[in-house]
Amino acid sequence: MIKDYQDVIVKTVARLVVPFIVTYALYVVMHGHHSPGGGFQGGVILAAGFVLLGVTHGLERTRRRMSEKAAGVMSSVGVFIYAGTGILCIILGGNYLDYGALTGLLLVSRPEARSLGILGVEIGVALAVMAVMCLIFFSIFTVDEPGEDEGSTE
Amino acid sequence: MNTFFLVVGVGMCVLVLFCLYRATMGPDVLNRAAGISAIGTKTLIILLLMGAVYERVEMFIDISMVYALLNFIGCLVLARYIEETGEVSC
Repeated sequence: MIKDYQDVIVKTVARLVVPFIVTYALYVVMHGHHSPGGGFQGGVILAAGFVLLGVTHGLERTRRRMSEKAAGVMSSVGVFIYAGTGILCIILGGNYLDYGALTGLLLVSRPEARSLGILGVEIGVALAVMAVMCLIFFSIFTVDEPGEDEGSTE
Repeated sequence: MNTFFLVVGVGMCVLVLFCLYRATMGPDVLNRAAGISAIGTKTLIILLLMGAVYERVEMFIDISMVYALLNFIGCLVLARYIEETGEVSC
């Protein structure tokens, strides 16, 4: 279990840097179809913000911001957004993830509908990746309670 | 100017090899950590030089910023690990 870091410099730097990390992650997600990046990379950078918070401010404080239950729900919601966009395209008469079919729903031209469809899918991927990365971080850094599992020694 | 960037980039790659030697053969955990973080910063510069050579700096700046960010977090996690396990003899 990671405890609170007793260092003013590290804590202050982390507190100042985390908002910029999250903003940059949103930029990577939103700008993914013009520059390097996209859903997966943006999600990983979002999770890096939480990892920095967990390393510097202790795991308990991070759990208050992002509990394991919320992470599980968010990963499911992300997959639902991804698959839901694809199935919406089938309902509107296209193939799976054929974003051109969304033009009837979004009331924009076909290329714009494709761009917005890709954006929706990338937001879903980013949400799922961020939640799963946070879950992996929590499970790696959580030490089992003594007596619950005989194998652990710490 | 392009040749200059290329020469500097190749020189950086050679310097990375020295840091890699320190990171693999280092006699202590601290030496390895210092080698790894030095490789991280050198990789950042090499990425930007590549961007200058290919004349697409605005693409490579995104990648190098993420690299700097993850290098910082990785360094912090490594320091935390060394602190908790107490592997440093000094």
